[in-house]
Amino acid sequence: MGNFGQLMDGFAIALTTHHILIMVFGVLLGLVVGVLPGLGAPNGVSLLMPLTFTMEPISAIILLTSMYWGALFGGSTTSILFNIPGEPSSVATTFDGHPMAKQGQAVRALTLAFASAGIGALIGVLVITLMSGWVANFALRFGSPEYFAVYFLAFASFIGMAGGSPFKTLVSIMLGLAAGTIGMDTISGEGRLTFGINELTAGISFLIVVIGLFGIGELLVTIDEGYKFEGVKAKLSLREIFRTLAEMPRYWVTILRSALIGCWMGITPGGPTAASFMSYALGRRFSKRGWNFGKGEPEGIISPETADHSAGSCALLPMLALGVPGSATAAVMMGGLMIWGLSPGPMLFTSQPDFVWGLIASMYAGNLIAVVLVLATVPLFAFILRAPFSVVGPLIAIICVIGAYTVANHVFDIWLALVFGLVGYVFKKLSYPLAPFVLAVVLGDKAEDAFRQSMLSSGGTLRVFFETPLVATMMTIGIFLLLLPLITRVFGAVFNSGTKRGVA
Amino acid sequence: MKISWKAMEVVTAAATGLIGAVVCYGSLENGIAWNSSGPEPGYFPFGIGCLIMLGSVGTMVQALMKRSVAPVTASATGGEIVDDDEPFMDTRGFRTVALFFLPIVAMAAISVWLGLYIGMALYIFYAMRVSAGFRTSTSLLTAAIVVAVNFIVFEKLFMVPLLKGPILEYFGIY
Repeated sequence: MGNFGQLMDGFAIALTTHHILIMVFGVLLGLVVGVLPGLGAPNGVSLLMPLTFTMEPISAIILLTSMYWGALFGGSTTSILFNIPGEPSSVATTFDGHPMAKQGQAVRALTLAFASAGIGALIGVLVITLMSGWVANFALRFGSPEYFAVYFLAFASFIGMAGGSPFKTLVSIMLGLAAGTIGMDTISGEGRLTFGINELTAGISFLIVVIGLFGIGELLVTIDEGYKFEGVKAKLSLREIFRTLAEMPRYWVTILRSALIGCWMGITPGGPTAASFMSYALGRRFSKRGWNFGKGEPEGIISPETADHSAGSCALLPMLALGVPGSATAAVMMGGLMIWGLSPGPMLFTSQPDFVWGLIASMYAGNLIAVVLVLATVPLFAFILRAPFSVVGPLIAIICVIGAYTVANHVFDIWLALVFGLVGYVFKKLSYPLAPFVLAVVLGDKAEDAFRQSMLSSGGTLRVFFETPLVATMMTIGIFLLLLPLITRVFGAVFNSGTKRGVA
Repeated sequence: MKISWKAMEVVTAAATGLIGAVVCYGSLENGIAWNSSGPEPGYFPFGIGCLIMLGSVGTMVQALMKRSVAPVTASATGGEIVDDDEPFMDTRGFRTVALFFLPIVAMAAISVWLGLYIGMALYIFYAMRVSAGFRTSTSLLTAAIVVAVNFIVFEKLFMVPLLKGPILEYFGIY
């Protein structure tokens, strides 16, 4: 129960007036970010990051995580009312949320979504509370080979479990790693891949990459697809909200299953988007009312929402305890920790307990605040969304350009962000996964250092990655995940030809 | 003008492959072998460059193979649902995206030259007046509000100075 005492200390830090105000402010900003398509959570957190450089690290992380919660919640509002996911992770919510809203039950749909999202998030935070200390202790025994194995495992699971083309995931990860190696080499001090361009000597900031790929890129996709906001009107009534809340306990099995999926996908870097889709698919298969999915079924809202949010919060567990973020947004925050002078990983728990437990405590409070605020602001955001995109789009563009500049006060970064914007646009349309790209940029240096140090200690043989049982196990799982697309394809081919022969 | 999905897939894969080759070439300059102090700085990036090329070749092969695969099996393998009639981009789509993106590029160019505040003012005025078709007075007012809000948020609230440029500096605003 050692964690409990530390958690209480954390609450003492998180529940000051100053920090609660920061949470409210962060959640509101996050709601704006989540509601507006073309402005997502990773990008929003990146844009806000330069403004936190002068703040206390704990206040800064509370601001950024609160923004993240707000963005996760805000994405569902647009999914349900407008059938337009404000965030990629709330796509699955449109399947049943919008039909239910169209049947005149908009408030019920919103309440179901927010309540299950809140529960999902709290379960996620509970998992973090119970497990993070244990994971960190375990990770204290890690040397560089183990660390490299963890990074390898993270990247391999993207390739093995992301779905889509494994080659595209590979290209995405490796391009991110390449972008991360540009600039001064930390070990030898040589400039790498700069090709004589002075501006590249300092390297490419992950913030620029995110602002380009997720911000400008998403904006271009939004313009291209020509969104029209034709929403369902929602009139909030307290009675309707409470009646829906009373409905919630009925769905406890769905909630529990979805939360488990979410936690798993959040800890392994599957991310909230994959979690919500997986949970929706499993929900349809296991539900007694599976036939009703897609027509406004409550469980069809609860499944993706719970998983989305538990994955979102659990993504912070590996970031804190191992230094391996579980989602694109967590990757951005981890980059922030390093900028604030904290090194994420197991040492953080012993060297900065106030920071870690203050953050964890703030997650409980932040999510509760988010549930209340998101319900209260539904009419406001429904109104904002009636503004034409030809006005909102340019405003987001300005924010992105300013954001790119404020990262390091370099005008060169503005051009870089625009280039990454075009890359993001093409990649998104061709369904290259973007989250691994960001993860690779943030982790690139650390992965390389771990690799080089292990190679140094072993004198240059790859055998060092298979010497102890721990590292060998991780590497084997990683290789298995890498081969998973191939394995499923071979099995699929064998299975398919088998059934065909059976029919014939 | 029509760009098909397949053409775009192949061109993109070729582009990423080229980047991979450039990465490999760049790391050759740092040395990719081993010396007395372990792997040279180019060792790791060289491997990355090779893997980029590998992934690009794989993507290209997959894109080219799709033609030979019958539509029924393509959907059965869970491939992306791509309607062959709808191109990756047609003239209209290209115009829409270009008309949105080029003004942003122009804003960046002006901002680099004359400062961010002047850049954003001109851009918002353009976007409101020309793209969205509001009246001149409304557009001017919006531009003024956007500049004022940004000035207050960045210069006053968060004390993050934005690029001012020669004109504002001439008037004594740093």
